[in-house]
Amino acid sequence: MADTSNNFKKKIRNFTFKALKATVKGILFYAIYFVLWMFLAPISDMVPGFQQMIETFVMVYILLMIVGELVSGTIFQCFFNVAKALFVIGYLIFSLNDGIFGLTFQNVSLMVDLRLFLVIAMLLSLLGLAKSVLQAINYMNEKAEYTRI
Amino acid sequence: MRIPIRMIGIATTFFWIFLIAFFVSAVYSVKDVHFDFGEPQMDVTSDNKVVFSLPVSIANTGFYNIGSFNISTEISDKEGFTITRGSTFVPVIKKNDVVTITHNMTIDLNDLLQQDKNYLFNDTELKIYEAVGMKIADVIPVQASTNFSMPWSAPLYNFTLGEPIYAPYNLTHFRVTIPISFENHPFFDLVGDMRIRMYNSTGARVGRGKTSLEAYGNSPYNREYRVLCFDDWNDSDWAV
Repeated sequence: MADTSNNFKKKIRNFTFKALKATVKGILFYAIYFVLWMFLAPISDMVPGFQQMIETFVMVYILLMIVGELVSGTIFQCFFNVAKALFVIGYLIFSLNDGIFGLTFQNVSLMVDLRLFLVIAMLLSLLGLAKSVLQAINYMNEKAEYTRI
Repeated sequence: MRIPIRMIGIATTFFWIFLIAFFVSAVYSVKDVHFDFGEPQMDVTSDNKVVFSLPVSIANTGFYNIGSFNISTEISDKEGFTITRGSTFVPVIKKNDVVTITHNMTIDLNDLLQQDKNYLFNDTELKIYEAVGMKIADVIPVQASTNFSMPWSAPLYNFTLGEPIYAPYNLTHFRVTIPISFENHPFFDLVGDMRIRMYNSTGARVGRGKTSLEAYGNSPYNREYRVLCFDDWNDSDWAV
């Protein structure tokens, strides 16, 4: 009976710690976004929908990050990390329109070639994806070892 | 296996921070690049070339150098035929530096008027394509372009030959006086010689004349020219 009570308390403590960690990470990420946005704000006046595009990205990313953190220590954390990496890749491709970003302002057409940025971001996202897959393999490996013991 | 995974995580995070910081600072530094387009100048050279000069001053007070700065202009007619194009290239504009360049465009009037006589007699519109390109922080290519129209002013607008008046000159020749009028619409003066040749219905030249011409820019021109013709010339049957 005492063991069950201790186990429950331990689980609550673990979950509280995870929730706290997720909250801190979320706030930290949002603070970084807030600081960076001050630099990018002049662009939002020129590019319609730019702020909405960035905000949607940040919202979904923070959500995946918090959920991933809450389920850390389980296989679901790896799933959410994979989802996060795939979301970054997909969102970059669709929002940056294959790296060529164009807009027309009055009679002036502006074209920004972000292909190099896109390629580097994709490579980093793929690295994140590979890390998540390795984490999943490692998790299953460790679990199998514990089960055998 | 945990340590390599953690190392991959740390390296990825580091590169993400570096990439985002670089991108944001590069975009932010565009705000500190100032272009100052001066008053465009137009000159006509002695070999009948119109030179458009546009002084451009670029002040780069951003965080990074600007690479491959390029201004290009293309002038074409209504049908899209390219009349002339010009380009000015600056390899690097260093940070905290001010560069002043002159973007020149040359139109050879002799070539232009020989290609299409329409430019001599009729006002029209020319299409201008202007593009400014650069590499922000030597890495991110950016190009801004625009199209606009510029009026072309014909130097011999409404060119008209009046009714010839003829009078005997001597025993063998007549003197024919032909009123000529036109409007010189462009800003430049027309200076040169005018040659007039008269032909009869069989295509044989019956007379000719030459005189100097000086028509001021943006002003009408009315003169009478005298041509000497042979006495077999018939006033009802002529061409200039």
